[in-house]
Amino acid sequence: MNALRAEARVAIAVARKDALSELRGRHATVSTLFFAAVVLLLFGFALGPDSTRLAAAAPGLLWLAIVLAGLLAVNRLHLLETDDGALEQLALYPVSRRAIYAGKALGGFAVMLLLGVLVLGAVGVLFAVNILAHLPVLLLTVVLGALGVAAVGTFYAGITVRLRAREVMLPLLMLPVLAPLLLASVKATAAALGGDPFGELGAWLQLLLAFDVLMLVIGLATYGYLLEDG
Amino acid sequence: MPQTTIYVSPRSLGAPDTRPPAVATTDLARLFAGSPALAGVSLRVDAGRTVALLGPNGAGKTTLLRILATAIRPSYGRAAVDGYNLGRDAAIVRGRVAYLSHATGLYDDLTARENLSFAASMLGTPDAAVRVERALADVDLAERARDRVRDFSAGMRKRLALGRILLGTASLVLLDEPYATLDLEGMTIVDQLLGAWREVGVTVLVASHTTERLSPMLDGSVILERGLVTAVSGSGVASTPPSLPAASRPVVVGSPR
Repeated sequence: MNALRAEARVAIAVARKDALSELRGRHATVSTLFFAAVVLLLFGFALGPDSTRLAAAAPGLLWLAIVLAGLLAVNRLHLLETDDGALEQLALYPVSRRAIYAGKALGGFAVMLLLGVLVLGAVGVLFAVNILAHLPVLLLTVVLGALGVAAVGTFYAGITVRLRAREVMLPLLMLPVLAPLLLASVKATAAALGGDPFGELGAWLQLLLAFDVLMLVIGLATYGYLLEDG
Repeated sequence: MPQTTIYVSPRSLGAPDTRPPAVATTDLARLFAGSPALAGVSLRVDAGRTVALLGPNGAGKTTLLRILATAIRPSYGRAAVDGYNLGRDAAIVRGRVAYLSHATGLYDDLTARENLSFAASMLGTPDAAVRVERALADVDLAERARDRVRDFSAGMRKRLALGRILLGTASLVLLDEPYATLDLEGMTIVDQLLGAWREVGVTVLVASHTTERLSPMLDGSVILERGLVTAVSGSGVASTPPSLPAASRPVVVGSPR
């Protein structure tokens, strides 16, 4: 129990440190949000002015914007560790490596959740989708989706943070793994917005939850090896 | 500067001869891209000693310290800190070793106090708030506690990294060129810390190019050249030649990293 409490203390310290650094270097958060907004606008232009078509495509656009902007956000959280040898110092603390993963993932989750909620609002406004009518279930989908992106992103950013070509490698590694999450999130969002006529919402949410749990377990079990250098 | 208080775990106390060697390595070697930075070092440093690692650039001083800190793994050989194997007991070793490298490991967007508070959380420092303030005072940064590290000079960053070491209870302190980038005041802080660590029986390994400033505080010294120990002197430190036959030993080619 004490060990678990110590790990929770470490995880919260790491997440708090990441959140503080992010808030101080506000340009990173703001540019990630702008990126998500630009993605939404470009998809909107590509699909044309037909409001019915845009509303039908809204769930897909929402999650593409969240996932693409999420790539930037999780990469940024690991770039903090490249400040003057910080990653090596982090690995040298006498703490459990899974607590460090949990902390980085928690920080990533907080950023992704903020991003997800704001992008959801933007989709409601830009594509004339009534999100307020289905807000609780849409928020639940955003929570589960954000958790999945943070879990996967923290794991892969841990792999790519030492690579020179990390900006290219991170999406290459992350996006294929995020395919099930993207599918389940889009389907769950579409079902929620459409009033769930086929009763499929629960199944998609369960799939999302299972994906999150699986990715968190993999990250917790293996992140320690990623911190090893040689 | 007030008197520095060094916190040690009870395990660090006791007569030096009753403790296992602080550092014991056997045929330790590390290759980087096939070329050895360390080519078979067998070294023993007794607990409680202050020992200098001397040698020119590329001699293997930093590589040896990084292996002992568990930052990198050896390619060959064995090493133990306080009797704990670096591979098998890495988690225990991390709790006993503090390492000051060339990089400071600080977060630019956090203040000096926030950086040390984070380190205290990671080290499980009791009375963290009090200890952080004391560490800031010990490295003469109390007045800059609320400033972001981004605005610090290289010397101030190094002092803050030294302050981080004061938050733990390490029994082995590894310092890589601790005087580099420091002004006279900063060097005096390092001198005082070396004296304080020595007084409480903490073992210190200092990598340096020269011994001019260090000499009065040293028990012994080890000279490394091209990845091998070429000489040891003083008390509490010993080295044996590599047990591998020369033909099968890693050979230093050119200037190792």
